[in-house]
Amino acid sequence: MDDEHLKALTDTPAVGSAELFERAEQLGTLDESLAAVKRTARGRVLLVNGEAGIGKTSLLQKFCGESGPRVRILWGACDPLFTPRPLGPLLDVGRQTGGELDERVERGDKPHDVANALLRELEAPSPTVLVLEDLHWADEATLDVTRLVARRIAESPALFVASYRDEELSPTHPLRVILGELPPGESVDRLELAGLSPEAVATLAAAKGVDSEELYYRTSGNPFFVTEALAAETEQVPRTVRDAVLARASRLSPAARALLDATAAVPERAELWLLEALVGGTVGDIGECLSSGMLTAEGDRIGFRHELARLAIEESLAPDRTLDLHRRALRALSEQDDRAPDLARLAHHAEGAGDARAVLRLAPAAAEHAASVGARREALHQYERALRFGQALPPSGRADLLERFADEAYVIDMREEAVDALDEALEIRRATGDKIRQGEILIRKARTVACMEHRGDERALTDEAVKVLEGCPSSGALARAYGLEAANGLVQDRMDEAIEFGRRAIAVAEEVGDAQALAYSLNTVGCAEIVLGLPSGVAALERSIELAREADLPVEVGRGYLNLIATLGEGRREWKLAEPYFEPGIHYCRERGLEAWLECLISARAESALHGGNWDTAADAAMSLVEGRPSTVMGPRFGGLIVLARVRARRGDPEVWPLLDDAQERGGATIELQFRGALAVARTETAWLEGRREAAVQESELAFDLALERGEPYYLGELATWRRRAGVEEEIDLEVAAPFAAELAGEHEQAAELWTELGAPYEAALALSGADSEELLRRSLDALQDLGAAAAATIVARRLRERGAKGLPRGPRQTTKENPAGLTAREVEVLGLVAEGLRNADIAERLFLSQKTVGHHVSSILRKLDVNGRGEAVAAVRRLEASPGAASRSEL
Amino acid sequence: MPRYVVERSFPCGLRVPVDAEGARQCLGVVERNADEGVTWLSSYVSKDKRKTFCVYDAPTPEAVRTTAARNALPVDRITQVSVLDPYFYA
Repeated sequence: MDDEHLKALTDTPAVGSAELFERAEQLGTLDESLAAVKRTARGRVLLVNGEAGIGKTSLLQKFCGESGPRVRILWGACDPLFTPRPLGPLLDVGRQTGGELDERVERGDKPHDVANALLRELEAPSPTVLVLEDLHWADEATLDVTRLVARRIAESPALFVASYRDEELSPTHPLRVILGELPPGESVDRLELAGLSPEAVATLAAAKGVDSEELYYRTSGNPFFVTEALAAETEQVPRTVRDAVLARASRLSPAARALLDATAAVPERAELWLLEALVGGTVGDIGECLSSGMLTAEGDRIGFRHELARLAIEESLAPDRTLDLHRRALRALSEQDDRAPDLARLAHHAEGAGDARAVLRLAPAAAEHAASVGARREALHQYERALRFGQALPPSGRADLLERFADEAYVIDMREEAVDALDEALEIRRATGDKIRQGEILIRKARTVACMEHRGDERALTDEAVKVLEGCPSSGALARAYGLEAANGLVQDRMDEAIEFGRRAIAVAEEVGDAQALAYSLNTVGCAEIVLGLPSGVAALERSIELAREADLPVEVGRGYLNLIATLGEGRREWKLAEPYFEPGIHYCRERGLEAWLECLISARAESALHGGNWDTAADAAMSLVEGRPSTVMGPRFGGLIVLARVRARRGDPEVWPLLDDAQERGGATIELQFRGALAVARTETAWLEGRREAAVQESELAFDLALERGEPYYLGELATWRRRAGVEEEIDLEVAAPFAAELAGEHEQAAELWTELGAPYEAALALSGADSEELLRRSLDALQDLGAAAAATIVARRLRERGAKGLPRGPRQTTKENPAGLTAREVEVLGLVAEGLRNADIAERLFLSQKTVGHHVSSILRKLDVNGRGEAVAAVRRLEASPGAASRSEL
Repeated sequence: MPRYVVERSFPCGLRVPVDAEGARQCLGVVERNADEGVTWLSSYVSKDKRKTFCVYDAPTPEAVRTTAARNALPVDRITQVSVLDPYFYA
């Protein structure tokens, strides 16, 4: 049948369709969103949500159909496959656009590359409506693309419409997380579709002479159900959707019914040639199916009008019929060789056909493809599918599948399942005597059992892996095993061990040419060297990053930046040295969609700003981590809570303890000093600032023993210093970092100098706050007031008053008057970037603010400077800088 | 939304003219506050006009500070408060 003939048939109106009753308001919302995109040339997201059969597709088709010739429509739908095709809906979109996007999706590029290509595609022609339907069925790679595009949609003149069924989303469904993370308000609209009103149902029922109350009672106004119930033309209203669909199907001729059954075996829309293969002849009866309204055509593909109808028919098929249809589908699809084979689709039919050999060939291949585009959950399901048919495999083949299954399970945090699979694989490898494979499994298991003591001991497993692998020729596995030993040493503050094993790992990795193991161990050695104060550490980490960039190992690059920054900053309070790495690191992680690393870097950024006395920046970055992220790794959110709490405590602002208690719940029980130490310090400082010395000492206990045990000089020094400030006289036998040692020795001025060198004005002022001389106390007070550190300033001012000091400033100083024209510190920062010629979007990225906030800052600057544009503002501030005595305007 | 009392000092005294200019100033503040979701409910001004106690609804203390800076207003102290109604028990 040719396309034209098909089109003529599909123009036949569906029988009694109810989906577009009472949808004027919703169409209005869609029109308004599109109008806003056209008006502002900024993109928007529109979320359309409703239960199955509520009429999402019909609404969107109507909207797109009426949006006019100058609007480009791109449409992709997710399929209800048990294991969906990776990037499935984007394959549809790629076919419509062609070009770079099509190439990247076909090739199965990474989600961030696909997302970037899609965003470029959306830039022109303008405007575009991009519809992704039924995202509750989407594979992970598609969800990644959705997340990245939704977040940056404002950059393109496009309306991104995403539809989904809320009822299908479990609380942990990845789509829920994405929806939760969308920026609230600004560029996101939501549309929830409800069922028809009793009045609308009555109107439809009257036309067919059906009891309207009964119809409404059975269908609850669900438009699909209403349509099916009316089309069933039974005496009584069918009890379920399934009954309605089957009643309607029963009125088809036998040939048309056979065609309908065949179509039901294909979850996505079926090609005509495929249907011919399934029914074993021509599909002349398709016209009957189409005009009955049960099937619809789209291009050269045929499908059910609704998935609910397909399910009803599929479930009604006899098992032997289903089996036969899947066999035919598998054969027909395997013989197609014009496009790259759709492995997920083939594997689906292979399983339906009960063809073990085909499943074992297709499912692992589909898994690899899925994993390569980042659809890890789909990869896992494909391996599961293969393992279900794996009885016939030789032992090594089964072990292979188990290992790969474990890798995917680990990535998506199904650790119990991963360990089970590894244990089974290990047994097989022991029986076959394959040593290197045994070592590799032990390494995987060591990595997997971290934080799950009941399943094994990480260190013991690593030791065992080393022992097994040292007996074999050099291998990448041995390099990784040494690398793990080194990393263990680093985490447990045994730096000599970290360096010793790290060097062995580097030597083996270089010998066998394993770039990943090399980058990993250079990273570990670099960190250990920085901790020991060796300058070679920074160079090792830089080399690790460079190697990882060359070999395109994004995770190693992200780890490199983060470890370099965190080890210098958190580890040695050398935030100034860490500063140059923030921008390239954050840029790389954002570009590559490395969200977890990005959040860790932003958390470090917040801490760095806190340390440097830039509290507005610190609070903004911290707030972005604390707000609206329902599920994320512990670290960044924990760090955000602590930084925000400390900013508030230092300013004397309220709502500090709820943040600290939240942080304690999350991280107070971990054995890692980096969490417990940071928490204890924050809680101790807060209690001290409130003048509660005993409580301060008590809070320090949270990590003091751990710090003593580890002998880590920074947290130990910091906690010991706080205890001293809170009045505890005690001797610490262990070495502590220089600025703390100086303060503990009563050398307050020297401690302050060391902090000033480290770029930490608040720490410097606090070091002076314990001094005896009035002059040093006055310096402390001045510095604290400049910082807006009201809480500590009050304490120091009281000390001065107790000594009889006169002429103390009362109350905090107005920092705004320090700057020309009354600009705030933040506004001066923004103005500097404006002067560099940066756009608001760039400034927002640089300062971790939303574009909207940057916009507010800029308009505030223009107002305070009394100028009309960015150029004038820059000129005005140059003039002001030339005359520092310029008076500030003060309003109100 | 949490409620805050914000204490401010004006060493040279606060002057808001009771005319169109004063209305314009106040409305400007209200508008800029709205950008951060901050609502200025009312203020109490000391007799010497050097100290004000301002009541705000705001999402966070940071939002109060941000709008204060944008409006070029000083902040001495921010306290979170709730209402105690003496006649509630009557």
